[in-house]
Amino acid sequence: MTERDEIPPGTLYMLILTTLDRDGELHGFEIANAIRHISEDVLRVEEGSLYPALQRMLLKGWVKADWGVTSGNRRARYYRLTALGRKQLTAERTQYERVTAAIARILQPAEGDKRCNG
Amino acid sequence: MQWLSELGRKIGNLLRGERFDRDLQDEMRLHLELRKEERMAHGLSPENARAAAQRTFGNATALRELSGDAWGWRGLERFAQDLKYGARALFRTPGFTALAVITLALGVGANTAVFSVVNAVLLRPLGYREPDRLVTLLHSGTDPVSTANYIDWREQSRSFEAMGAADFWSPNLTGADTPEHLRALKVTQSLLPMLGISPLLGRLFAPGEDEPGAQREVILSYRLWQRRFDRDPSVLGKQMILDGEAYRVVGVMPAEFQFAPFWATRAELWVPNAFSAADRSHRGGNHLRVFARLKQGVMLTPARAEVARITARLEKQYPATNREVLVTPLMENVAGKVETPLLMVLGAVGFVLLIACANVAHMLLARTSDREKEIAVRTALGAGRTRVVSQFLTENLLLAGLGAAVGMLFAIGGTKALVALSPAYLPRVETVGTDARVVMFLLIVTVFTTVVFGVAPAMHAAAGNLSGALKESGRSGSDGIRRNRLRGFLVASEFAMAFVLLIGAGLMIRSFAALQASDPGFNPHNVLSMVVSVAGSKEAEPGRRAIFYRQLLGQVAALPGVQSVGGINHLPLAGDMWGWNFRIEGRPKPQPGDSPMAVYRIAMPGYFETMRLPVQRGRAIGEKDDARAPGVVVISERAANAYWPDRDPIGQRIAFDADTRMPPTWLTVIGVVKNAKQYEWAARPFPEVYLAALQNRDFLEDRAAHFQYLTLVVRTSGAPADLAPAVKKTVWTFDRNLPVSEVLTMDRAVADATAQARFETLLLSMFAGVALVLATVGIYGVMNYAVVRRTREIGIRMSLGANRAEVLRMVMRQGMAQALTGSAAGLAGAFLMARLMTNMLYGVRPTDPVTFGAVAIVLSLAALAAICVPARKATRIAPAVALRNE
Repeated sequence: MTERDEIPPGTLYMLILTTLDRDGELHGFEIANAIRHISEDVLRVEEGSLYPALQRMLLKGWVKADWGVTSGNRRARYYRLTALGRKQLTAERTQYERVTAAIARILQPAEGDKRCNG
Repeated sequence: MQWLSELGRKIGNLLRGERFDRDLQDEMRLHLELRKEERMAHGLSPENARAAAQRTFGNATALRELSGDAWGWRGLERFAQDLKYGARALFRTPGFTALAVITLALGVGANTAVFSVVNAVLLRPLGYREPDRLVTLLHSGTDPVSTANYIDWREQSRSFEAMGAADFWSPNLTGADTPEHLRALKVTQSLLPMLGISPLLGRLFAPGEDEPGAQREVILSYRLWQRRFDRDPSVLGKQMILDGEAYRVVGVMPAEFQFAPFWATRAELWVPNAFSAADRSHRGGNHLRVFARLKQGVMLTPARAEVARITARLEKQYPATNREVLVTPLMENVAGKVETPLLMVLGAVGFVLLIACANVAHMLLARTSDREKEIAVRTALGAGRTRVVSQFLTENLLLAGLGAAVGMLFAIGGTKALVALSPAYLPRVETVGTDARVVMFLLIVTVFTTVVFGVAPAMHAAAGNLSGALKESGRSGSDGIRRNRLRGFLVASEFAMAFVLLIGAGLMIRSFAALQASDPGFNPHNVLSMVVSVAGSKEAEPGRRAIFYRQLLGQVAALPGVQSVGGINHLPLAGDMWGWNFRIEGRPKPQPGDSPMAVYRIAMPGYFETMRLPVQRGRAIGEKDDARAPGVVVISERAANAYWPDRDPIGQRIAFDADTRMPPTWLTVIGVVKNAKQYEWAARPFPEVYLAALQNRDFLEDRAAHFQYLTLVVRTSGAPADLAPAVKKTVWTFDRNLPVSEVLTMDRAVADATAQARFETLLLSMFAGVALVLATVGIYGVMNYAVVRRTREIGIRMSLGANRAEVLRMVMRQGMAQALTGSAAGLAGAFLMARLMTNMLYGVRPTDPVTFGAVAIVLSLAALAAICVPARKATRIAPAVALRNE
């Protein structure tokens, strides 16, 4: 196990944007799991901090949220990227190209990614 | 544009109201449940699974607040929530709240009331156009000037846009139902337009209307127009009989117009001043007040330099006529005399406010200490430090707001009381009121008090040790050193400020006592005085005046209840004061400007007897000293010492003639009387002379307005004011048209003369008293609290063998140390302040040991008394009970 680092500020948006870009519509728990699976080894994310970040992204118009029902028949709020969010992702991607190795690795499409059941 | 759509979303969210929070909560709950299920699938027990889920999730409350922050309305919502919570918290402890609110209200109210007065008197600009450019040109900055000088200055100066002069005039208004003695100003045509205020009705005087021979015209004040003409809009063109002459009304000034602002402040009408040819060349007789408006862009300094050049030139040409002519901003003349005392009173209430703040601060400190547990719980539940501090600040703001609201009520009452108490010397006091500036002041004071009394306790609240507070059973251990030090500092500063205030008040009281004890020379009790004016009546005729005065005195003397009666031109203290140069027979002609000078009064027989002004040598002016008898004069002791230091003045002769070409009219000194107060109560009397009215041709024959009245003085056996109607009626049996004015008892005149000192002493004593009470309550509160907090410690000490005396000593020592440290600091401040007060003091040195000693004793006793109660409580602590209870 490598040393765990605090997530660099601003990176969380990026992680969420990437996850949503790849997986389409996800609810909070799914996003958390996806990020966890990708980054577990390197980055420590307090799961709850996902929600303030999502609120800020909603406000900025990068994502949209709608209430839906999970496969386990529970009410959940599903987030998806907007056009603005996609643009933001591209912009951030180019900008983050030069970031640390750990983040660079996350940006690569991960293999063996599993969708969690929800 | 990004921010615009963001704002749109924010507003949309706000409209959705509570749903936002519910959505978020649902979402988070789902997350936790799913994580818990996942953990359970891994074989954890439900409890462990839940704990694990929560651990990885973080502090849900804090995260929810963070999410809300994104939408930006949280600040407001939080504020509203804090307010609600604060109100509830305050309501739960009504005793604390009431005490804190009243303490703050006292401070804020007193400050606002005093500030309203300062605002009206010192800060609000004068009610003229661009008042900053208005100046006065006066001898020594305050004394009147002669006509010829005024004309020369006006013609030779270039710094001024306009210059005008005013002369006091008190005409008799007759021809109406009640005759009235009015206050008026004779002004040059240039004066009123210079002020830049348009009349409400009609017009100002036009150029040429102040030439001799022009038609007589008058402009009325709003008040006079209201009183005498019932605000009749058709007053223009009507006639008024002033001193027997008809004047045509050409204008009415607006209600708020007042001129002059610092002298003759109660003038109610203005007439053009037509200088005669003789006036124009007259360099003696200084009676004009000169006003000017600086040219746009001309500063005071170059204007002063120019006036200095002109007056130096004139001085060379006419020696002893142009000395020390000062150009002073008009505002300085208005406010100069009262500025220091007023600012001092403002400083005093400022101190009272600070002391009030300190008191509330340690009340709050005690309160936060008692609420440590609550704070700890809230921190544990996710409240951040800023959140706790802002909650406390909101609560304090609420407290301050309540204090300000109640304080405003106090201020309204206080302002009314101040205006009612304020002596006549206070200029513009009638304009005192609540304007935008006063409201601003109140708001600033409120915010300031919140910060001063609120920040320290709030910071302490936030800095509290979380787990410690939760673990301990309550108010167990002693307080931290830091907190104790803060309390000690608060108490010490209260005592320091109280010390300074008490010294200020003490010095004022001592000074006032010295003023009261000062001998006026005469006996003012049971003396009634009033001015009878003959101008414009048949009694003013040269042949009639002496007869009338004599008969009037005779008839008043015959009234029941009258012991004796006399008359004089100007009553001491209340009346005008003239100075006159004279010559002494047998001495070389003095250099110009070096002549002996004396305050000049003209007395009727009976004056000295009625005033009980003792004749020390020789005799008083009697009935026989009339026009047929040789001229006589009575002088004051001071005049005798000043001009005849080594010989008896009785039998010496002096002359007052201005015209040196004529043979002098010699007056023989027949008596020396005690020095009497003249104009200013605290001033050392000038040499003074009393001429015999019945042989004074000016007084009996001169047409000038300032010779055509007599001030009656009546010594009564009962209350003097009761006799006023009878005396007036006696006057009117001669002529129903004779105005009687300035009806006044001599006691009242004395009280008026010391009114400024009384007012200042009263205010300072009041505020110092409040400060003393607050500081005493403060030290009591702090010591009492300290004893309660230390119950266990004291219990331990006592169970370890400390006896009651030792405990008592310990508590007393701690308390007195705070009080004495503060007093020592206050001593230094008091010396500084006393130095600033030097000019306000009479007959007492600023370092008066009696005052300093008395204040030290009073403060120590107050502190001792306040500490005694908690200290005795400490000695009664039963060790076993104290230890068990905690």
